[in-house]
Amino acid sequence: MTGTGDPAAMPRKVLVIGLGNADRGDDAIGAIVAQGLRGRLPADVPVVARRGDMLSLIEDWAGFDALVCVDAAAPLADPGRIHRIDLRGDSLPKNISLTSSHAWGLAEAIELARTLELAPREIIVYAVEGGSFDDGAALTPAVAAAARVVADCIVAEVGRLQCDSIEDLPDA
Amino acid sequence: MTTKSIRVDLLTRVEGEGALDLQVTDGRVTSARLDIFEPPRFFEAFLRGRGYAELPDIVARICGICPIAYQMGAVHAIENAFDVQVEGQLRTLRRLIYCGEWIESHALHVVMLHAPDFLGFPDAIQMAREHGDVVRSGLALKKAGNELMRLLGGREIHPVNVKPGGFYRAPSRADLAPIAEHLARAHELAVSLVRWVAAFPFPKYEQDYEFVALRHPDEYPINEGRLVSNRDIDIDIADYETQFEERQVAHSTALHSVVKRRGAYLVGPLARYAINFDRLPASVQALARESGLGPVCRNPFQSIIVRALEIVYACEEALRLIAAYEPPALAAVPLGPRTGTGFGCTEAPRGICWHRYEFDAEGTIRTARIVPPTSQNQPSIEADLAAVATSILDHSDDFIRDRCEQTIRNYDPCISCSAHFLKLSVHRT
Repeated sequence: MTGTGDPAAMPRKVLVIGLGNADRGDDAIGAIVAQGLRGRLPADVPVVARRGDMLSLIEDWAGFDALVCVDAAAPLADPGRIHRIDLRGDSLPKNISLTSSHAWGLAEAIELARTLELAPREIIVYAVEGGSFDDGAALTPAVAAAARVVADCIVAEVGRLQCDSIEDLPDA
Repeated sequence: MTTKSIRVDLLTRVEGEGALDLQVTDGRVTSARLDIFEPPRFFEAFLRGRGYAELPDIVARICGICPIAYQMGAVHAIENAFDVQVEGQLRTLRRLIYCGEWIESHALHVVMLHAPDFLGFPDAIQMAREHGDVVRSGLALKKAGNELMRLLGGREIHPVNVKPGGFYRAPSRADLAPIAEHLARAHELAVSLVRWVAAFPFPKYEQDYEFVALRHPDEYPINEGRLVSNRDIDIDIADYETQFEERQVAHSTALHSVVKRRGAYLVGPLARYAINFDRLPASVQALARESGLGPVCRNPFQSIIVRALEIVYACEEALRLIAAYEPPALAAVPLGPRTGTGFGCTEAPRGICWHRYEFDAEGTIRTARIVPPTSQNQPSIEADLAAVATSILDHSDDFIRDRCEQTIRNYDPCISCSAHFLKLSVHRT
């Protein structure tokens, strides 16, 4: 944190990241949600869309107290199903596979950052089960509907995260 | 007769998808195949009919780790075909952005992918619990490389600021100043990294490789040079096809490249270093000697030291280039299309990346050929696997599996570029 005064009384720095490839069907949900959040969050809450290099996320979230991530997930049993995962003291569940074509995925980036004490103290992941990850395909209807729900949830989530006292934050 | 199989369903810490199949008969390795089953991506085919100006942005999509290699090979080939020279500060900026790619790509491989092999960790996360400072250094180095690529390329993955003739926008000196500060710190980290990896326990293994790399009259090669080997090759890049050929093999969707008269050859850090040790600054040569290396290194496991040395070099070179930089009058040399064939060959982090394109009078691409480094190294990877496995057959299957994966990672293979991951099977009969 920067600035003066009682740090515990300052609003917490919150970052929102939408993950995924906008050209790979339902993998685009992170980018779509990030786009849908434009103008809906306080000016001091950055919303970024990222794809590809998950290790670079560690740079993105440096200095933030809390992080909200949106990503597509496999398995494909229930397209559009939303999983809200609170990573306070927990890891991403093994039965949820966040999509990545690279050796480093979001789960690995978070685990590494925590090991190195470089992770935000609070991390919420919204993982939405995808139905199709075909090249150039649009979002499937169920996932498109979920994108709107997730955006609404994040607006509320950010409000809560900003208002919570830093003293309430768990240790990373 | 007994049959034993070892299977690794997913070889981690490489980019892409493939498998290794090891056949052991009567105590001998009879076959060591790197099976690449990633579907071919047909870049060369769908470049046909596209305009020359589209080329750098299309080929950048071949790889997220080394897009500059593909962009530079393409723009050099275009300029070669259209008889245009790009010199001065624009040439400097091209070398500078390439330094960024070497730094980020090598840092990722050395620290996050390869180092855990030598220290007995399954991955960099576990390694970070005991070597947190080194992993932080690796991330900082990667960040420094990415910053350079972002500033000059517009973004670090699939950059968009490279064009035939130069760049869409050239940076000011003030733009580069903060990067120089970060690179100076990165240089310190890289020197420490060399010393750290040099102390690893290395398997005693050497191979009499035919090294192939670019060689430039004055510089450690990045963007330009003649194609030279430690045997008898010394040719213009336009003559690549007279000495080398790609062959289709049944077990790989990526073509295998060989020297026509001899077979397997090696490209990448070990080859660059062996062919161009005298082109390294005295500071890097001294660091190499301090690390126990002579002017030639034939132990592929020690490629991790050479990669770390190349990070040091890239930081030094980038700082030198930035110190001498003056913004060019034009961000790009004007050029116009004409009928012709153009060649480009640059030193990607993993080795030479060769391009040939034929253009018509409007600059439309008639044919395209791209030979990436990993496909050139595949026969050498298989030869190393056979030799390394032969030397450790009396060990457990787990040990053989781990050492074979390490052997593959010596090459920092980008299977995605060559066609994408690894399942290992050992069959003993």
